[in-house]
Amino acid sequence: MSPSHASDVPVYNPRNYLNSPATGLKSWLLTQDHKRIGVMFLVAASVFFAVGGLFAMLIRIELLTPGPTIMDAMTYNRLFTLHGVVMIFLFMIPAIPSGFGNFLVPLMLGAKDVAFPKLNLLSFYLYMLGAVVALYGMIHGGADTGWTFYTPYSTTTVTKVVPILLGAFILGFSSILTGLNFIVTTHTMRAPGIGWNRVPLFVWSIYATSIIQILATPVLGMTLLLVAVENAFGWGIFDPARGGDPVLFQHFFWFYSHPAVYIMVLPAMAVISEVVCAFSRKNIFGYKAVAYSSLGIAFVGFFTWGHHLFVSGQSAFDAGVFGVLSMFVGIFTAIKVFNWTATLYQGSIAFKTPFAYFVGFLFFLVFGGMTGVAVATVSLDVHWHDTYFVVAHFHFIMVGATVMAFLAALHYWFPKITGRMYPEGWGLVGAVMVILGFNFTFIPQFLLGNEGMPRRYFSYPERFWALNVASTAGASVLAMGLVIVLVYLLISLKWGPIAGPNPWHSRGYEWDTASPPLPENFEETPVYTRGPHEYDEDSYANPPPVAPEPKHAS
Amino acid sequence: MADPRPIAHEEHLATHHAHGMRYVVVWIALLVLTVVTYAASRVHLPGGWHVAVALLIAIAKGALVALFFMHLWDQRGANRLIFVTSLAFVALLIGLTILDNATRFPLANPPGSAGALPWGGADRDPPKLPQ
Repeated sequence: MSPSHASDVPVYNPRNYLNSPATGLKSWLLTQDHKRIGVMFLVAASVFFAVGGLFAMLIRIELLTPGPTIMDAMTYNRLFTLHGVVMIFLFMIPAIPSGFGNFLVPLMLGAKDVAFPKLNLLSFYLYMLGAVVALYGMIHGGADTGWTFYTPYSTTTVTKVVPILLGAFILGFSSILTGLNFIVTTHTMRAPGIGWNRVPLFVWSIYATSIIQILATPVLGMTLLLVAVENAFGWGIFDPARGGDPVLFQHFFWFYSHPAVYIMVLPAMAVISEVVCAFSRKNIFGYKAVAYSSLGIAFVGFFTWGHHLFVSGQSAFDAGVFGVLSMFVGIFTAIKVFNWTATLYQGSIAFKTPFAYFVGFLFFLVFGGMTGVAVATVSLDVHWHDTYFVVAHFHFIMVGATVMAFLAALHYWFPKITGRMYPEGWGLVGAVMVILGFNFTFIPQFLLGNEGMPRRYFSYPERFWALNVASTAGASVLAMGLVIVLVYLLISLKWGPIAGPNPWHSRGYEWDTASPPLPENFEETPVYTRGPHEYDEDSYANPPPVAPEPKHAS
Repeated sequence: MADPRPIAHEEHLATHHAHGMRYVVVWIALLVLTVVTYAASRVHLPGGWHVAVALLIAIAKGALVALFFMHLWDQRGANRLIFVTSLAFVALLIGLTILDNATRFPLANPPGSAGALPWGGADRDPPKLPQ
């Protein structure tokens, strides 16, 4: 809002979770405040995002020419493994649920904290411990197996796989504890007035994510332990030379890792459901359909893992079953997409940065989802399997959609978390560069894959050269966009204009408290008499200009 | 609206009535089942039946622990439902994986496994593949 009266000038909440009860390092490291733990997760995940992004740029630079460019083949193999492990286990899985989820779920439920604050802190330290163990393994030896650790290669490679497996194992416990906390919090700590039909859609999706985290993650732990045991004692579990079955590993691994894709995408959908309502000034179209389709995705996500095994020696019958079951995910995702777009209809749209990322998200989700339906078709997958088509597909759906939502969340809740605004103009510049850069990076990879360029290869025939140059150029634009975002957000932390409690005039429950929130979230337990996305009243459907304009350019 | 009473309090109420005798009986049952496991390993059984019997006994013991020592027996509907759901997902993992082995192209199964060709039995050497 552009304040016209002195009394309208937004004020910074003087007593907030950032400065009380204390500001010292110790008060942060030993905190049980869900908001501080969420912020620590966000900072850590963002650092790992930068590290993983650096690896990605090195990979793209290496692929700039058909032969060796800046590294040898072994370094390249280690780099793409590092890129995958860091991005998946250290960034995408924890970023939205553990970061934004921790910060927002209690605020959205009118609760003072999560159900188990100490477990919450333990979850953060397990995350850091797992990260340190995995990074140790990467620096001292580094694995060259890819993030999937496929046997029998991972049990015979000379590189050091075990520390990274152990790191992923520990990270799994962090994930389980966070999921457990959210489920119990959602069941037991909702404020008066928040029945199940008034639970914000963000919480619904995080709840669905938590179910997957609790049900699937133990299977990953078990599988990684089996690989470690086979490595250490030489038992024939997955190695066919010793009577094992390598396809069994793939079954176990993808029973976790396919639902894990929804651990990454469902929280993205959580963010988008909030953003689309706030920036179109409309109640969500089909609340129940959007809420229950989250549970639907979590449920059918467990029935599709075999579509990763179509060319691995899995039976033709099982492949057919998994191919059909995979299509069901498309149904639930489509329900969400149609409901989001229907929400926009006749809305009063404010094209702010979070909304720009919503637009990018929708494109990546639909394009990535449709190519997903294509690669889940057995006959087509035989052609595309292990080509750059699959690489482009999962980057669109997992990374494109998740990073768009992560950035949308970062901008939408930046005033809630910090009490300050980011520069809107730079925000849009960053969003345009990120979205275009992402397309320029991965659309050439769709084409490369369709022409037959295999993934994970260090060198390639010269006929693939032009498209690889295009992809690297796109990655540079993407990286530049992300650097711009990082720079202006860091500047805004200190010099951004004061946001006030609710700069977007959002109806979300989390905006009912001060920004930044009080240490105890609410002065007294709130009682809700309306839903979380209701913009029916005229003052909310047509508010004054949505965001405060920055008083100075950054 | 959320239930204002803390769950821990309800659990305490629910388990308060369980008397100590029950735990002794369950403990003895677990000891008996352990002896049965050992005894079954000494009995001659054909094929893979040893594994099946051992797994059945292990499931029975696990069920006793979960039901009584972990108080699932005293829990209300929702918690039981969650537990049964998790069992359903275990069944899903095992079921669809075994379905793969059972319907696979026989040469793709490891020699000696249930889905392999019959001449690759557990007591024989793996077949010599043409070089």
